[in-house]
Amino acid sequence: MVKHYEFFVMTNDEYDTAYIGDIVKEYVKESGVKNGIVSVITAHTSCGILVTEPLDCILSDLKDLLTEFIPEDAEYSHAHFLHTYGRTSANSYGHLRSIFTGNHTLVSLVDGSLAMGAAQEIVFMEFDGPQQRKVYVDIIGE
Amino acid sequence: MIIDVYTFPGFLKEISQDEERIAFRREQYFLLKQHVWPLSLFVTQMNAAGIDKSIISAEDVTTKAGDTIVSNEEVKLLVDLEPDRLIGFASVDPNREDAIEVLEDAFSNLKLSGLKLSPAMQRFYPMDEKAQQLYEVCIKYNKPIIFEAGMTWIKDSPTKYSNPLLFEDVAIKYPDLRFSLGHFGWPWVREVAMLLLKYPNVYADTALLYFDSPKQFFNTEFNNTLGEFWIDRMLYNKVMFGSTYPRIEQKRMVGAVNSLTLRDEQRRMVMGENALRFLGMEE
Repeated sequence: MVKHYEFFVMTNDEYDTAYIGDIVKEYVKESGVKNGIVSVITAHTSCGILVTEPLDCILSDLKDLLTEFIPEDAEYSHAHFLHTYGRTSANSYGHLRSIFTGNHTLVSLVDGSLAMGAAQEIVFMEFDGPQQRKVYVDIIGE
Repeated sequence: MIIDVYTFPGFLKEISQDEERIAFRREQYFLLKQHVWPLSLFVTQMNAAGIDKSIISAEDVTTKAGDTIVSNEEVKLLVDLEPDRLIGFASVDPNREDAIEVLEDAFSNLKLSGLKLSPAMQRFYPMDEKAQQLYEVCIKYNKPIIFEAGMTWIKDSPTKYSNPLLFEDVAIKYPDLRFSLGHFGWPWVREVAMLLLKYPNVYADTALLYFDSPKQFFNTEFNNTLGEFWIDRMLYNKVMFGSTYPRIEQKRMVGAVNSLTLRDEQRRMVMGENALRFLGMEE
């Protein structure tokens, strides 16, 4: 059985984070699927999804790392008008940070619950906000 | 107080319920993949950029394309939802037979705060007799005009109508008409600097981004094409912050202006105080 769900994350700043594990758990409960795999994927290319411990200090360290590793004001090629959009791109650092973190995570589903360690949380990462971000949840199993 | 004088509201959810109208806007305004999002998100984006108020403008291309891209009534609807954050500008196609009535209605009934005109998109010369009749309505109501000057990205919009030097006769004939040259009239930024220098009623905005990142492009245009200190020393009371949102994020254009050489007082004027005077809202 495959169950597909979608929800939006409204972010509040250019760089922002949101814990989304509880939303995913609600969909798991609603789906009725007991065993399988759950994928959580964002529909965008300048934000990310990852699993880490939900501590401000870890998220702060990650922000410092990403900002140093992928700075805002480097001489990016992706800084020009896009005729296919009718708008200007100047968010290469957002795309690169997204590539760095990845756009999805997978979690095992066992006996109706997400098989996650006690320290694990699913985190949505915004790198070009504020935006309205779409997230897909697919629950695959039986 | 930071005011963005150049934004387009056409993809805000509250006025974007009809798929055909959204498709018409994407095509006519040349924002081909623009998402629809709620007004609340626009306000959040303004907050993140530190912007207090944004001018949102209607766009009327009735005689060219058969409809408005955004109507005056839609602008009024949005302003009523966020009256402390949005300032509404009307648009009237000067080639409409009822242009004067539409503008009178926008000022007297809809209470909009100014007029946005795009000579290239709407296909009229700034000194066209039909346009001059609209200027006289603006003077009667003490309302300013924002002209889209220089290059527009919008298709089928010849730049021959919007060369900034064409507005000099408007400045001379209508000294009581406050008007702004959008996009700083790019690529004619030196000509616009001349008009700002010479005519008290002429303003310009920073809504220009045609190459590079905002900071790089501003460095090219404001530090090299123009002199690095020209705004700080001379044009500080004539230049207003504008972004062209959603063609680019407001936060990036704020960052670009912040990268310019401006003393604190001059920066405050560029970011908001000049707009208040332009709008007739100066205390």
